Amino acid sequence: MKSDKLRLRDMGPTPTITIHVPGSLRPYCAGAAQLSISAHTVRAALEDLERSQPALYRNLCDETGTVRRHLNVFVNSDNVRDLDGVDTKLTPGDVVTILPAVSGG
Amino acid sequence: MADRVILTIGTKKGVFVADAAKPRRSFALRGPMGPGVPVYSTLIDARGTPRLYASSCNPFFGMKVLRSTDMGKTFKETKSAPAFPKEDGRALANIWSLETGSGKKDLWCGVEPASLFRSQDGGDTWDMVPGISNHEHARKWQPGNGGLCMHTIIRDGNRVHLGISTGGHYLSEDGGETFKASNQGVGAGFAPDPYPEFGQCVHKIARHDDAPGRMYMQNHGGWADWTGPGGPRPDIGVLRSDDYGHSWRSIAKGLPSDFGFPIVVHPHDADTVYVVPLEPATRSCPGGAPAVWRSENGGESWSRLARGLPKKQSYFTVLRDAMDIDRLKSPALYFGTTTGQLWIGREGGEQWDCLFDSLPPIHNVKVAVV
Repeated sequence: MKSDKLRLRDMGPTPTITIHVPGSLRPYCAGAAQLSISAHTVRAALEDLERSQPALYRNLCDETGTVRRHLNVFVNSDNVRDLDGVDTKLTPGDVVTILPAVSGG
Repeated sequence: MADRVILTIGTKKGVFVADAAKPRRSFALRGPMGPGVPVYSTLIDARGTPRLYASSCNPFFGMKVLRSTDMGKTFKETKSAPAFPKEDGRALANIWSLETGSGKKDLWCGVEPASLFRSQDGGDTWDMVPGISNHEHARKWQPGNGGLCMHTIIRDGNRVHLGISTGGHYLSEDGGETFKASNQGVGAGFAPDPYPEFGQCVHKIARHDDAPGRMYMQNHGGWADWTGPGGPRPDIGVLRSDDYGHSWRSIAKGLPSDFGFPIVVHPHDADTVYVVPLEPATRSCPGGAPAVWRSENGGESWSRLARGLPKKQSYFTVLRDAMDIDRLKSPALYFGTTTGQLWIGREGGEQWDCLFDSLPPIHNVKVAVV
């Protein structure tokens, strides 16, 4: 079985992607509208946010690490629910957008 | 010198604050504050410079605790909200109760799924209280219609009473280190065993500071006609304890329904207690005619208080935390409805007037004189 280090090497260099932050969440990341992160997958991007932007992360994921139920995460124009969820792979230049679901009353 | 009556009103669309001079002739309203999401609990912390707190149940971005240090003109998020440890496996779904603790900045917070958190810095950081949150019963409690919520926290020296729906009444006598289910005499209508050790759908618990051994409970009633296993359970909805909550007995006789949510004790008389009976099936006012019912003898008998309230065609619900009473010499009751009305019952509920009639659905009403 390959080690994590070997698996990551097989995936090539870590792609740099952009996370687009909705206006309502910008106060949790010093007002930034976009964040630049290097990550192979959406999960890795979220783990990076947990370390680098913990206040923003708490708005995106609950204590178990699950993306909050009423949030949608898109990679470019595709909802990750239609791809591989948080295991969706990222390629250089991808834009990850986090949006509240259209719901409520 | 305390000279303002202040109300916090938690609604489906944020928190409102209303205040008035002591005669309470008219209240000024401000709000909604917060991001327009449901507020199930508020707290007016009148120790020292008053601080107002409100939970904020954001379905998108999770739970927050809001704090105001300017009497409710503005609210800001505290530095963090209660959160389960990552390895626990549970995730916070709502904040149902906020109460003051013994230290100047000490706060307690009851959440969904039913667990207890404590802050010692006015809500900026929180620690889970393991004695109840990891209680051997905790993973066996079931959610009621409103969710698996810890809605009542009552402190009395080293005693801590908790109300959980559906978990029942839990009592600590060591300052919150350990808890025991304390439900002798508390019935359950939705289980074959009418008097289980735990698992009752307690709706609210109240007590009087000067009579800490005397407690009142609004339990989930409405089971008089049950014909299934265990037989009918009449009058299990409104209860009283005279031994610090170790045992309970029914005081529901004389009420039009033993189902309801809030229960409130008069600030100057431990024998005077108020409930809002509701039809058990619809959770609305019996016959469409709302009324608060008062006992002035500890639940031995009840009288109907409805002067000024609608006489017909009113089918609102008063939720568990949507009624409170101020501490003025002639106290006024306040209740909020799921149809967005806020009512004041002057002279201990003798005369009712609608203060605000078109707020969002009301979850929570608290009052203090500050």
